[in-house]
Amino acid sequence: MPTDSGAVALVIAWVLSVYALVASIWGGLRKQEDLVRSAENAALAVWAFTLVATIDLIRALVSRDFNLEYVAQYSSSTLPLYYTVAALWGGQAGSLLFWLAILTSMAAVVVLQNRSQNRHLMPFVTATLMAVAVFFASLLVFVTPPFQRLTFTPGDGRDLNPLLQNYWMTIHPPSLYLGYVGCSVPFAFAMAALVTGRLDDLWIRTTRRWALFAWFFLSLGNLFGALWAYRVLGWGGYWAWDPVENAAFMPWLTATAYLHSVMIQEKKNMLKVWNMALVILTFLLTIFGTFLTRSGVISSVHSFTQSGLGPFFIAFLVFAAAVSISLLIWRLPSLRSDNEIDSMLSREAAFLVNNLVLVGMAFAVFWGTVFPVLSEAVRGVKITVGPPFFNRVNTPLGLLLLFLMGVGPLIAWRRASWSSLRRNFLWPALFGVLVGSLFLFAGTGNYYAVVSFSLCAFVLATILQEFWRGTRARQAMLGETWPVALARLTTKNRRRYGGYVVHLGIVMIFLAITGTSAFRVEQQVPVKVGESFEIGPYRLVFEKIETWETPHSAHMAAQLSVFEGGRRVDTLKPEKRFYKKPEQPATEVAIRSRLGTDLYVVFGSFDATSQTATILAYINPLVGFLEWGGVVLAIGTILAAWPQRAVRGAVAWEGESRVRVEAP
Amino acid sequence: MNPRYCGMFTYSRALPHHWLLAALALVALADHPSWARAEARAEVGFQEIEESLTCQCGCGLTVHSCNHVDCGSAIPLRKEIREQMALGKTKEQILAYFEQKYGEKILSSPTTRGFNLLAWLTPFFAVLFGGVLVGWTLRKWSKRKTTVQPSTEPGRSRAMSAEDDQRLRQELERLEL
Repeated sequence: MPTDSGAVALVIAWVLSVYALVASIWGGLRKQEDLVRSAENAALAVWAFTLVATIDLIRALVSRDFNLEYVAQYSSSTLPLYYTVAALWGGQAGSLLFWLAILTSMAAVVVLQNRSQNRHLMPFVTATLMAVAVFFASLLVFVTPPFQRLTFTPGDGRDLNPLLQNYWMTIHPPSLYLGYVGCSVPFAFAMAALVTGRLDDLWIRTTRRWALFAWFFLSLGNLFGALWAYRVLGWGGYWAWDPVENAAFMPWLTATAYLHSVMIQEKKNMLKVWNMALVILTFLLTIFGTFLTRSGVISSVHSFTQSGLGPFFIAFLVFAAAVSISLLIWRLPSLRSDNEIDSMLSREAAFLVNNLVLVGMAFAVFWGTVFPVLSEAVRGVKITVGPPFFNRVNTPLGLLLLFLMGVGPLIAWRRASWSSLRRNFLWPALFGVLVGSLFLFAGTGNYYAVVSFSLCAFVLATILQEFWRGTRARQAMLGETWPVALARLTTKNRRRYGGYVVHLGIVMIFLAITGTSAFRVEQQVPVKVGESFEIGPYRLVFEKIETWETPHSAHMAAQLSVFEGGRRVDTLKPEKRFYKKPEQPATEVAIRSRLGTDLYVVFGSFDATSQTATILAYINPLVGFLEWGGVVLAIGTILAAWPQRAVRGAVAWEGESRVRVEAP
Repeated sequence: MNPRYCGMFTYSRALPHHWLLAALALVALADHPSWARAEARAEVGFQEIEESLTCQCGCGLTVHSCNHVDCGSAIPLRKEIREQMALGKTKEQILAYFEQKYGEKILSSPTTRGFNLLAWLTPFFAVLFGGVLVGWTLRKWSKRKTTVQPSTEPGRSRAMSAEDDQRLRQELERLEL
């Protein structure tokens, strides 16, 4: 039986990660810099060996080495190259390896970035990251080794799960993993700050970009997952509150809360304990998320990854929680800050409420996700907590959040005067009310939707007003033309305006959610060739059935002509597919997108004897805003995270004006 | 017709009121009001029942959303819903029938009885408890401030005219990151 270099590399990586963990803690406590450096070099080596193992597994997949159990299990001779590489995260062991590869890569970047800075924090940063690495490497070496060889070589593999053979599915896990693992870096710095007692905002400033990076990929990971569900699962929706979706959503909520509350610490030196708590919570939720995905404790569409890993994850989760919370409690006396607040009507107060709502939503999602387990434990009765529960609980909280998104950025720090409130909110509020009234006047019976559209209009107006006022001010003061003024305004204050752009993206996502949940039209119709049916503004004519086959899969498509206003505007071909190796069917929906609204057609079934096809058609209003909102959100985050050269000058200037305020 | 959104706004303004907590929880538990309108059209009523039941095929979706070809669970369940509707039963009676026949896990969200009440109430209690905590903390912090500066309006400099003060405030706001 051949020994894979990847398997050897993993064992070496495990040994080195244990060494790096022990040496960095020892070196950090004893203040032995050479030992700390040695641990950092070991961390770099862990990265190199993990990379060797990862590349070796990709090599095995691409070279169709079916003697390797993982390759036989998750790929086949006919699987396209693109998906063959993606099979790296298609199964249990591979995705854990992929996770370790990302974690150690980030650890390597952190080590290299901090060769000559943050030296007092680094031993414990390395130690924390390596502790996580030891856990994942242990799973890979002792529990679920990816390089397990079979005693025989099967002729072909069992193929990748058909649901995963989709473009969005290839990019959804990597971005989610980048987001999950990215949360470990601020966590590691927070732990180092707690251990060393350097509790000022140094760790926060150092990890600001890491936090944004993690948040960026968590956001995209969630969105890509939604788009995958929309295009592949074929039930017309994109979010089903599946436990694994919830697992990815919870850390996003707490990370979002964190990104807002750190601003208060940076600005007012308040909320130190709260920020620590949020970083710890977010990290624990990422591990909890992996546990939910990998353990199969709670049934979900992702339960193709069921395994016996649950207890290990629970143990690690308990360990991480115990260590981090103990450290936090130990440092509580030093974390007390002179919290003071001028008024309940201030940005500080608005941000606190925003944090409350975000964490409240995370709790509601967590509660709903674990409640079936609780019910079974307490009453011995299996129950289901499904989409109706989550929608009902989260809708009011989500709308409150939307409202705060309009208020937070514009309300003054310290104390908002009534005149400033009127100046900032009069027009946006009127615009919101106007939009809401228009919807009511148009006879919209869904009041949640009316409130949501109204709030979207309000938030949109506050954002536009900010850009408008800033641009006008620059035009007036510096005599710039408006495009120059707008561009300079945005690029000179990237954090602030990047934040506004992100908010704009979120408003767009809210529009999509409201449109699809309140105004979706759906039809399920049996049609014979030549027959037609109507949905929304469209008439769909069932033209014919087409079938074709590849060595990989068999296809059957229903060809439908789409007429609008008597004119033929499109041809849609929703498919049923049958993947040969795993002998599984799959759906390929057909979509016509116009102005953000989709005509979404699913080929349900075909009865050959009666030549009748069952077609499911949906009109999903505003669903396109989900993708566009994601793009805007991404642009905003990149803008906010982009390094700013003039920061030093701006701070000095701001300091100067503060001095002027205080001088009588 | 839908009182829930009204409750939400009151809630955002004044967090620390206990009666709001009860109101909010009740409102969350109230039946979806569109049901009353939906009765006029049987198809919508059918869909609501479909959405209240979970498909048992393992897809994790509601009976309405499951679109598996020849699904061994969703298709017979839909047939059963239609049979029950044909008997002239209300939504509640039909759901009670399904619960009795298949157990609680068939329902797509927990019932509003007994232990399951915890599922519905806890998130709202948690948020309201958090709200009370935030309100209490803010009040404590703002008191700390007022004892230091009893009655002067903070930020206003006596040497500046109101106009200058206003301009300064605007400039400062613009500078804020």
